[in-house]
Amino acid sequence: MSTRNSKPDVLQGTLDLMVLRTLESMGPQHGFGLAKRIQQISDGALDLNQGTLYPALLRLEQRGWISSRWGASDKNRRAKFYELTRAGRKQIARETDHWARIVALIERFLRVAE
Amino acid sequence: MRTLWKRLTALFSIGRWDRELSEEVEVHLEMRAAELRQQGVDPDAAREAARREFGGIEQMKEAYRDRRGVPWIEMLAKDVSYGLRGLRRNPAFTLAAVLSLALGIGANTAIFSFINTLMLRMLPVEKPEQLLNLYRTGGWGKGYASYPLYLEFRKHTDLFAGVFARSGADKVRFDAGHSTRVEYVQREYVTGNYFDALGVRPAIGRLFKDEDSRTPQGHPLVILSYDFWHNRLGLDPAVLGRVLMVDEQPLTVIGVAAPGFHGVEVENHADMWVPAMMFRGEIMQPGMHWVWIMARSRPEIPKSRVQAAANTIMQQYLMSVYGSQRESAFGKWALGQKIEVRQGGVGISLLREAFGKPLTLLMAAVGLVLLIACANVANLLIARGSARRREIAMRFSLGATRWRLVRQWLIESLLLALLGSILGLAFAIWGERYMLLFLPPAAGEGFDVAPDATVLGFTLGISVLAAVLFGLAPALRATSLDPTAALKDGGEQQPGRGARAGFRKALVVLQVAFSVVLVVAAGLFAHSLAGLRSINPGFVAHNVMTFSLDYPQVWKGADKEKHRERLLARLTEVPGISSISYGVPGPYRGGSWSAGIRVPGSARTAREGVEVDEQGIGPAYFETIGMRPLRGREFNQGDMRSTRKIAVVNEAFVREFLPGTQDPVGRILSFDDSKPEGGEPTYIVGVLRDILHDGLKTRAKSTVYVPFCEGGVSFDPTLLVRAQLPAASLLPAIRRELNQLNPEVALVEPRTLRERVDDSIFVDRIIATLSGFFGALALLLAAIGIYGVTAYAVTRRTAEIGLRIALGAAPARIECMVLLDGLVLIAFGVAIGLPLSLAAGRISASLLFGIKPNDPPTLVLTITALLVIGVLAAFLPARRAAAVEPIEALRHE
Repeated sequence: MSTRNSKPDVLQGTLDLMVLRTLESMGPQHGFGLAKRIQQISDGALDLNQGTLYPALLRLEQRGWISSRWGASDKNRRAKFYELTRAGRKQIARETDHWARIVALIERFLRVAE
Repeated sequence: MRTLWKRLTALFSIGRWDRELSEEVEVHLEMRAAELRQQGVDPDAAREAARREFGGIEQMKEAYRDRRGVPWIEMLAKDVSYGLRGLRRNPAFTLAAVLSLALGIGANTAIFSFINTLMLRMLPVEKPEQLLNLYRTGGWGKGYASYPLYLEFRKHTDLFAGVFARSGADKVRFDAGHSTRVEYVQREYVTGNYFDALGVRPAIGRLFKDEDSRTPQGHPLVILSYDFWHNRLGLDPAVLGRVLMVDEQPLTVIGVAAPGFHGVEVENHADMWVPAMMFRGEIMQPGMHWVWIMARSRPEIPKSRVQAAANTIMQQYLMSVYGSQRESAFGKWALGQKIEVRQGGVGISLLREAFGKPLTLLMAAVGLVLLIACANVANLLIARGSARRREIAMRFSLGATRWRLVRQWLIESLLLALLGSILGLAFAIWGERYMLLFLPPAAGEGFDVAPDATVLGFTLGISVLAAVLFGLAPALRATSLDPTAALKDGGEQQPGRGARAGFRKALVVLQVAFSVVLVVAAGLFAHSLAGLRSINPGFVAHNVMTFSLDYPQVWKGADKEKHRERLLARLTEVPGISSISYGVPGPYRGGSWSAGIRVPGSARTAREGVEVDEQGIGPAYFETIGMRPLRGREFNQGDMRSTRKIAVVNEAFVREFLPGTQDPVGRILSFDDSKPEGGEPTYIVGVLRDILHDGLKTRAKSTVYVPFCEGGVSFDPTLLVRAQLPAASLLPAIRRELNQLNPEVALVEPRTLRERVDDSIFVDRIIATLSGFFGALALLLAAIGIYGVTAYAVTRRTAEIGLRIALGAAPARIECMVLLDGLVLIAFGVAIGLPLSLAAGRISASLLFGIKPNDPPTLVLTITALLVIGVLAAFLPARRAAAVEPIEALRHE
């Protein structure tokens, strides 16, 4: 019944880490800015529906890793800004460590396969 | 945890969240569009591209919403508010459903409250399930036992972890030292180990130990109940060490028991406890039955073994006490006593014995009432389901799942049931008050049936159960339709959907069947009560007031006698009082004395003495209760002090001991039954017609009436006053005279003789009244059911009926046809219900007086009542059918 989008969904945890890292490097950011930045960094490798960002932001906020407030954008428009919290920074550290281990693991498998 | 909290708080600001999200999305799209415009894309295309890159907005919002709230709570809240809206839109339906359910649930709650208090609620003591009641049967009275028997069981520590005893709760005088009028409290004597064995702790001070009940009259101590300390002494902490006058004995308060503990009896709550050794009487006399023996069982010993061991202990004990009198009537009687080991955790209750079985039956009856109510509501819901076919079809096509719709329906049912249970609780509280009015005042003090947590849980439980019962089938039926067909036929019921109508008819048949059971039960109990009421007790109960006098403890028999004679003399002067007398124990005071006698010349007593009832009465006793001796005379003032022993006997006595004697007046009997010819003679001066002196259900026994003399028995007599005055003005007049004579003497337990007779059959009255009410309720609900189904059938068949009329069928014929439909349902219901009610009647046979469970008049009346109700219920729809305009009906098609 629901219409499925042809673009592949991004792994949930992956998108979370991308958002957190982007906020860490850029400071407070609104949704559009975040989406643009993530696409820039992925350099087209990530074909993301920008809308899927918002539920992810909500999830991160509910977990206390980011906070949000309404403010003015550089063009003086009202926009909602997201900001990393202390818990969010810790989470990045944890996740980074986690990813490093997974990457190392997968690499080992790939080498064995050669 | 924090996540859940955020989600929950989010529920309450749904609107704001939605607006903010929309704004955020709008900002996003606008920023991207502006960027594209700067790159030279024209505004419309820029906007379009921004949207495309964003992806499905609504889809995202849905995901966002799911994430934000707690979805099922939100859904539930939506369903509930939708359901409430639906109920509000249909007030007639809602009212009918809620009222039916409230009556059913209320009746169940009320009866269950009684059952809970009387049979289920555990005593607030340590491990109540381990408690046993050593219940004495046979011999004299039931339950109560003697102190020596308690001591005997106490020896068997291998069998019990502790044996203790308590007297009944007695209403005695109380003086805290500041009141002028006579106050009363409920006092119990308890053994020293009572509180220890029960595991009750003190609120303040200490409780009794074994050392507190060692020597007779040597322990003037008292322990108060927490409620008494709270209500009468204002929780005064200085109460410890204070001396209270209880039953005119100075007793020192040593402690207050833990809150909530009122003793071990269900319907009589104790205000205070006094060591058993303070009992004023021959405590070690084996014939003095005044304590209830309780024990704490050893968990490792099975109950059957305890019973077997108790039997042996009892037999050995009885032989050691009464063995030497084995051959006499008295000895046989005494040796016939037994001990029954009963569960004690729910407390001791005499009321339970009289009222337990009727309550269980009433519980079954109200269960049927609730089922009938559920059937009614189910029928209403199905009818409503047909009316809502279009709505349901619409929701299906809009993508709702069946489960979602069924859930929606069940939530509506639940709402109905909850509304019903709230109203039902109100009915229940009112009903309990009404039921309590039936209980004789002597049945208990502090009998508490107010709903507690158990009762509320029960009510909630049956409401949910009812909701599923009446809600599930209609929900499944309503949602089992083919949406396209339902939309096409415009929401109207297709003719010929027989299954649906068949289910509704089956429900009505079931209702009728259950109603038959309830109406038969109502008829049986009403007939039984009518039989009891029509019994002539042999005396005239109208216009007789009875009461007892409570004298100061120090008064001797002679003081009481003098006071009584002076009071009688005063009362005779009161205008309106025509006759006055007294007797022990008095009519309908629950008891009689028995005495072994010999009647010289009678074959019956030639070999051994025979036990007869003995009543002590005053002068003009029979005149006061509206009788006249058949032969001879009754006692006069002079007889009361005469040294010559005289007696009045009843006809049953003459039949048993002096059959064929022309005139028993002048014959003798003797209360000395040690030798065949008797000892000191008692001369018979009168013969009285048999009267039912202590209960309508027992036949008159051989009775000897003797002049009551003070000191012979230790009980105070009941006074009887015949007067043409209503009780409301008679009692104050008596009280005034009493007060003028001596304010220290109090009038207690006033009750008209009529009320006392009524009290003796309170179980029959309550069960007849309640079953009558439930029967009527069942009939009403069944009538509504029949009406509903018939009316619905007529609507469904309007076209067909129109056609028939157009083809020349007479309206009367149409009416008959519809009526017949209703009657067929009744016939099926009766056919199923009659065997059920015969079975139910057999179970309740022991509660019926003078009639059999298959009482023909009751059965005939029941069937007639159902037919009449059925015809009445089907009459309106039948009239409507006959008035169908053929043209209208056919055009409708």
